[in-house]
Amino acid sequence: MINEPDIVFRTKGLTKSYRSAAGEVQALRGVDFQAARGEFIVILGPSGSGKSTFLNIVGGLDTATSGEAWFKDHRLTALDARGLTQYRRDHVGFVFQFYNLVPSLTARENVALVTEIARNPMSPEAALALVGLTDRADHFPAQLSGGEQQRVAIARAIAKNPDVLLCDEPTGALDSATGIRVLEVLTEVNRRIGATTLVITHNAAIRDIADRVLRFADGRIVEETVNASRKAPADVSW
Amino acid sequence: MVITPLRRKVLRDLARLWPQSLAIALVLAAGVATMILGNGAYSALSDTRARYYDTSRFADVFADVTRAPRALLDDVRAIDGVLAAEARIVKLGLLDLPEMVEPGTILLVSLPEGGGAGLNRLHLRQGRLPDPQSAREMVVSEGFATAHRLSPGATLTVVMNGQRRDLMITGIALSPEFIYALGPGEMMPDPRRFGIGWLPRESLAGAYDLEGAFSNLVLVLAPGAPIERVIADVDRLTAPYGGTGATARADLTSHAFLDAELKQLGAMVHVLPPIFLLVAAMLVNMTLSRLVTLEREQIGLFKAIGYAPRAIAQHYVEFVLTIAILGIAIGFAAGAWMGAGLARLYARFFSFPFLVFSNDPRIYALAALVTAGAAVTGALFAVRAVLALPPAVAMAPPAPAEYRQQGGTLWRRLGFRQTRIMTARHLMRWPMRTLSGILGVALSVAILVASLWSFGSIERMIDITFFRTERQDVQMVFGQPEPLRAVFAARQMPGVMVAEPFRAAAAQISHRNLLRKVTVIGRPAEPRLSRVLAPDLRPMDMPEAGLILSETLAQVLEVRPGDNVTVTFLDGARRSLTLPVSGVSVGYVGLGATMDIGALNRATGGGQMISGVNLLIDPAGLEEFFDAAAASPKTGFIAVMGLTVARFRATLAENITVMITVYVALAAIIAVGVIYNFSRISLSEQGRELASLRVLGFTRAEVAAILFSELAVIVLLAQPLGWAIGFGMGLAMAGAFSSDLYRVPFVIGPAVYATASLVVCTAAALSALAVRQRINRLDLIEVLKTRE
Ligand SMILES: Nc1ncnc2c1ncn2[C@@H]1O[C@H](COP(=O)(O)OP(=O)(O)OP(=O)(O)O)[C@@H](O)[C@H]1O
Ligand SMILES: [Mg+2]
Repeated sequence: MINEPDIVFRTKGLTKSYRSAAGEVQALRGVDFQAARGEFIVILGPSGSGKSTFLNIVGGLDTATSGEAWFKDHRLTALDARGLTQYRRDHVGFVFQFYNLVPSLTARENVALVTEIARNPMSPEAALALVGLTDRADHFPAQLSGGEQQRVAIARAIAKNPDVLLCDEPTGALDSATGIRVLEVLTEVNRRIGATTLVITHNAAIRDIADRVLRFADGRIVEETVNASRKAPADVSW
Repeated sequence: MVITPLRRKVLRDLARLWPQSLAIALVLAAGVATMILGNGAYSALSDTRARYYDTSRFADVFADVTRAPRALLDDVRAIDGVLAAEARIVKLGLLDLPEMVEPGTILLVSLPEGGGAGLNRLHLRQGRLPDPQSAREMVVSEGFATAHRLSPGATLTVVMNGQRRDLMITGIALSPEFIYALGPGEMMPDPRRFGIGWLPRESLAGAYDLEGAFSNLVLVLAPGAPIERVIADVDRLTAPYGGTGATARADLTSHAFLDAELKQLGAMVHVLPPIFLLVAAMLVNMTLSRLVTLEREQIGLFKAIGYAPRAIAQHYVEFVLTIAILGIAIGFAAGAWMGAGLARLYARFFSFPFLVFSNDPRIYALAALVTAGAAVTGALFAVRAVLALPPAVAMAPPAPAEYRQQGGTLWRRLGFRQTRIMTARHLMRWPMRTLSGILGVALSVAILVASLWSFGSIERMIDITFFRTERQDVQMVFGQPEPLRAVFAARQMPGVMVAEPFRAAAAQISHRNLLRKVTVIGRPAEPRLSRVLAPDLRPMDMPEAGLILSETLAQVLEVRPGDNVTVTFLDGARRSLTLPVSGVSVGYVGLGATMDIGALNRATGGGQMISGVNLLIDPAGLEEFFDAAAASPKTGFIAVMGLTVARFRATLAENITVMITVYVALAAIIAVGVIYNFSRISLSEQGRELASLRVLGFTRAEVAAILFSELAVIVLLAQPLGWAIGFGMGLAMAGAFSSDLYRVPFVIGPAVYATASLVVCTAAALSALAVRQRINRLDLIEVLKTRE
């Protein structure tokens, strides 16, 4: 059904509801979405609007209640746990607010963790060079600052040459200067390896560095803005 | 009791950590149970024996003579320190039972004097004692009666001194002298082939031409009487009448076997419970250390709002004590249950009229106390560090675990994957816990190695004793020494293919101040049936002059080949001479000394006599042979090697399943306890990382492999350590079990190590599988939302 070669993601009527003792929570209420190869998309929206839920479903971490999600010609909503694991392994790079590095491995080893199981990886050194951390390669996470840890996480995410890079509040735990540095790395990586990049953020100022900005509210995409020209992260005012 | 918030937390923690708590409780329970079982069985056995000896006026000293006049008894009674003495007739008779091909043996003992008033009193189980005037009545031992379904009123044909006599059984009885009733030449009691019959004195005297005479003395000594001196006096008095030397109660077969059993129980009490308590303390320490780390901030909070460190420590101690109480309760139940089982086993092997299994509350109290102590010690070591922290520091999150670069490049060069490096670094990050895990699993391996080796050792005993040393089919022992030509008569008996004579002479062998009473066996110069083996298992020829001693005897006397020993023969002439030790032989049963039969006869000065013959018998002629042997007046008793081995094996086979089940269960409890707790702790520490790896696209199997390889390292490193500890324990046990009665060869083959490892690895694998479920259920999204 997807024949446009440039379309990487496509969702249709995606919904997600959580059933609990307290009642049913509708996290997503029908999301229709498309993303093209190499696009840099920023996702904004109030807390609880379903941003993370959406990102997790297209990243293969979570399953939808109804609707469809496609990655190229893989129908994600039809995959079982094993299929989703394989999809994450082969195609997706994740960056999270809390880095989620392995504390017992050095920066280089954290990256190597992923390159060892990837089909077409770059070298851990090259990935660290991309995020500007060549000289900290042998440091453990506990010996790195927050921003440096996040850059290691980015290096780990991109080292497999992923088709998509999904970032959930990557700057959420960082001060503005460090945040800018991380965003620079993300845009740089997006440019270099051409990975479709989705970045969730609460910082509306970041919108200007994107090709496209989506605004979530109440489980839906309520606004979509296409930027004619992208700003450099350094030019964004926080 | 007020349910304070801290108490409620204890209950909630227990509910949450129940599988880990249960695993610890089971290890504690195993310690309690083995302690109760061991101590309980020990005191049951020794109390029962003591009480039984006491109530039956059991003799302190025993002495055999060939034939002594009853007047000698007055001299014996006059020995200083002798409280009471009785003269008995003790003779071996042959049994001719329709249901048995081979002749059985019955030990005929004259009844205690004065009916129920004498020494070694019988305990009548059924029927009545024989009429003192009757020559046709007899009481038999209970085991024998049960094996042949004999009850009072039945008739038994006994060959006494070559004469068949039909005896009516008037009763069934037990005697303190035969608690462990071992037939002559046997290795295990076999109530089918060996029984004891008590007859009136006159009846026996008539059959064996012992009117006005006796063949055996029993003495009770005054409390504190010097037994060595009394024995010397008895020996002096009995020497002219063929006395072969008096023995103390301690050297009596029945008593000595009970002693051996007590010794094994004692060894068990000293080895097993401490292992379980050590492991339990380590588990408590591991688990609580992790719990305390997780609750560090809470502890800080409690301290900040004014709880004293004592109160907080008490909270964790209460948590551990609850587990300990559970373990103690399970241990009490299991110990009592296993104790009852062991008592049943004892009832089968040992003939007691009663069994005092006292359930002494002190044993239980001690077990509970020691166990709770071990658990609390483990707990206090775990909470000590946190309690020392000032509240402010405690409330702050702990500094991130510091990992070191150790071996990073080395591993990379070795081609280690990053996941392997994670495993290695995590193990090295907590060296004490890793070592505890290794030691715990190693102890579980060691318990198995130290118990399983005995089976191979028994096989070696059987192989050496029956297939390499005593190769005859049948040993025919004469009632008394016969001239050498009796060999030719034996050769003529039906079915006999080879006959080889032997001579047995009681003697005292001494070297310096070391002295042992042994039976010196005279063998042909090149024995073919009953042989002696050198330590390299080659058969030895008899030296022209000189003695070959068994390893045990040589050790006891501290002699080596070339040394001289003094040999005093205990038969009539009491000759004493100095002989060189020409060699040392292997042998596991008793103390052995052997020499050339001709040289032995010259040494005793008794002429060319033989005590019996070893025979090879054509299987087709076996039945005929037995009939002829039973009919021959010369026959004292007949030992059938095949039956002895079969009985030995059968008895062991009965116990082997029970023993293996118990030891495998004990080892599994440790292995499961250690591995399960270790993996739960490891998962608790690394759950977040493992979930992150799943997000990155690692499969469930790959993530589980990280944790499992940690367990694998522990289990693998534990194997050689466990083998080594088990080897040491086994060696010590072999030493502890060995006595003059028998020596336990310490043979331990690869099969023992392999079996022990297999059992422990299986237990480890099962507990790993239990944790696997938890790895599969790791919440991927949860870890993304929270900071550690
Ligand atoms: N496991 C869950 N069970 C029940 N409800 C959930 C669960 N996870 C998320 N929700 C609910 O789904 C809705 C969407 O959550 P989601 O995490 O996608 O929001 P978000 O837009 O990422 O918010 P934030 O900006 O705060 O991260 C929220 O109302 C949330 O409470
Ligand atoms: Mg979110």
